[in-house]
Amino acid sequence: MRRLGSSFGSSATTCYAGYSTCGCEDADLRLNGRPNRFALLMMMLGLCGLLVVLAIAGVLSPVEAVVAAPLNGLSGAFNSLSVAFNNAVDELNNLGQLRERIAELEEQLARGQIELLQLREAASDYDRLVSLLSYTSTLENQEFLTADVIGVDQTGIVRNIIINRGTRDGVAVGMPVTTDLGLVGRIIDVSANASQVQLITDENSAVSSRLQETRADGSIIGQASGVLRLTFVDLDAEIRQGDLVITSGLGGNFPPDIVVGQVTSVRQFEFELFQEAQVRSLIDFQTLELVLVITSFQPIDLTVFDQ
Amino acid sequence: MGRYLSLPILILATALSASILPQLLSFGVGLLGNVTPILSHTRGQFSLVMLLVLAWSIRSDLASGFVWALVGGILLDLYSALPIGTSAAALMIIVYAANGAAQQLYRMRIVTLLAMALLATVFFQAYTFVALLLLGLSYDIVLVIRLVFLPTVLYNLLGVLPVYAFVRLIQRRLRASAPSASGSLSLEAEVGTS
Repeated sequence: MRRLGSSFGSSATTCYAGYSTCGCEDADLRLNGRPNRFALLMMMLGLCGLLVVLAIAGVLSPVEAVVAAPLNGLSGAFNSLSVAFNNAVDELNNLGQLRERIAELEEQLARGQIELLQLREAASDYDRLVSLLSYTSTLENQEFLTADVIGVDQTGIVRNIIINRGTRDGVAVGMPVTTDLGLVGRIIDVSANASQVQLITDENSAVSSRLQETRADGSIIGQASGVLRLTFVDLDAEIRQGDLVITSGLGGNFPPDIVVGQVTSVRQFEFELFQEAQVRSLIDFQTLELVLVITSFQPIDLTVFDQ
Repeated sequence: MGRYLSLPILILATALSASILPQLLSFGVGLLGNVTPILSHTRGQFSLVMLLVLAWSIRSDLASGFVWALVGGILLDLYSALPIGTSAAALMIIVYAANGAAQQLYRMRIVTLLAMALLATVFFQAYTFVALLLLGLSYDIVLVIRLVFLPTVLYNLLGVLPVYAFVRLIQRRLRASAPSASGSLSLEAEVGTS
C-alpha cells in the first residue's frame, strides 16, 4: 500500500505519501507516466556541483553573507545560553577544586609580588635600553578586535570555530586569533559578519614556534587528540618539561612572541633527525567564548620567492 | 507546506548543531571520560540536520526530500570548511537511497530505521572525509575513525528515533491541517508508515 502510494504513479494516489502537496511538480520528469527518479537525482546533483564550483570561485560569497546572517545571530544566542549553562555546571563541579586553587594562588601571589618588585626594576632598565635601541615590540603595536565564538565546524573532522566578526569589522583571511592565554589560530574564511578560524589544534595547522628559554626553533602541529606536537627541533636543543612555547614569527604567518603552550613531555630518538615534544595549550578550546583578532597584522606571502 | 517548513526547522537545527549540541556532547564526554578513558578526546558530532533530512525523506516524496537535502546541505556548508553545495550533494544521495528503500517497505521498523541511520552516517562521514582530502586537507584516517566517525555513529544511532518521531509528528500535523480532499488516503498512508 505504501509502495503503491508513494511511487509517483500517474493517478491521484501519488500525492499522499508525504501529504497532499507532494510530487505533482515533477510531471516534467516523468518517463512513460512514471517519474524518472534517477534523472531527478542527477539534476539535483548537477545543481549541487554548480553550487560547489561557484562557491570555490568565490561567486557565492555575497549570497553566503546574506544567508548566514540570521543563522549567525541564532547560533550566537544559543551559544550564549550553552556557555551560561556550562559555566553554572562547572562552578558547581569545581567548588572543591576552586578552594584548593585559591590557597595555591594566594601562595603564588605572595611570591609574585616579590618578583614583581624585581621585575619593575628590570622593566625600567629595559625601557631605557629600548629607547636607546629604537626597538619596539611587535605585540605592543598590534590592534585587537574582540569577537564572540558563535559556532564550531559541522564536519567534526576539521577543528574550526566561527566568530561573529567579518569583513564589516575589518577582519581578513590570515589574521591571527588569540586570547589572553595564548594563540588560538588564524582566520581562513571571512563573510560579512562572521569568520572561520582554523584552530592550532587542527591537523592541518602548522605554527612556526620557538622555546622561550632555549630559543630553539620548531613547528607546532595540531593532532587529532587535541594535543599539540612540537616538531623539527634540533637534536642539540634542550627541551625541558614545563618550557613555554611561543610563536617565532618565521614564515610571516603569525607575529612573534605569542604564547602557544607548555611542554608536557619530550620524545627524542637517536635515529631521528629532529626531536619532538608534546605541548599543551593553556586554552580550553572546547569552552572558548571570547577571542581577540589581531587586525593590524598582515601575513606575509613568501610563495613569491618560490617563483 | 512541508518544503517551506524545511527552512525554519533546518536553520534551527544547524544553529543548535553549531552551538548547544557540541557543548552538551563535550560535557557528556567529559563526564563519561572520567569513567572510561577511551571516550576522552573523542569529538564526534550528532548529525541533527542529516538525520532530519533522512527522516523526512523516509516519510515523504522524493522531490520534497530533495528540497530538504538542498536546504540542509547549504546550511551545513555555511558552518563547515566545505564549499557550498558539497554536503547538499551527499544529502541528495542519502535522500534518494532512503526514499527508494522506504517505498519497498510496508512498515518502518526500528531496526530498519537504525540500519538506515547507520548507513547514512557512514556514507556522510566518508564523503566528508574524501571531500576534505580533495580540498587539500589531510587527516589521519585511523584517528578520525576512532575519535570522530565511531562516536558520531553512536550519537546518531541514539538520536535517530527521537528525530524520526519529531518528523512524524510534524507530518501528522501537516496532514491534519491540510484540506481534506484526500482524507481516506491520509489514513491509508498512516497505516503504511507507522
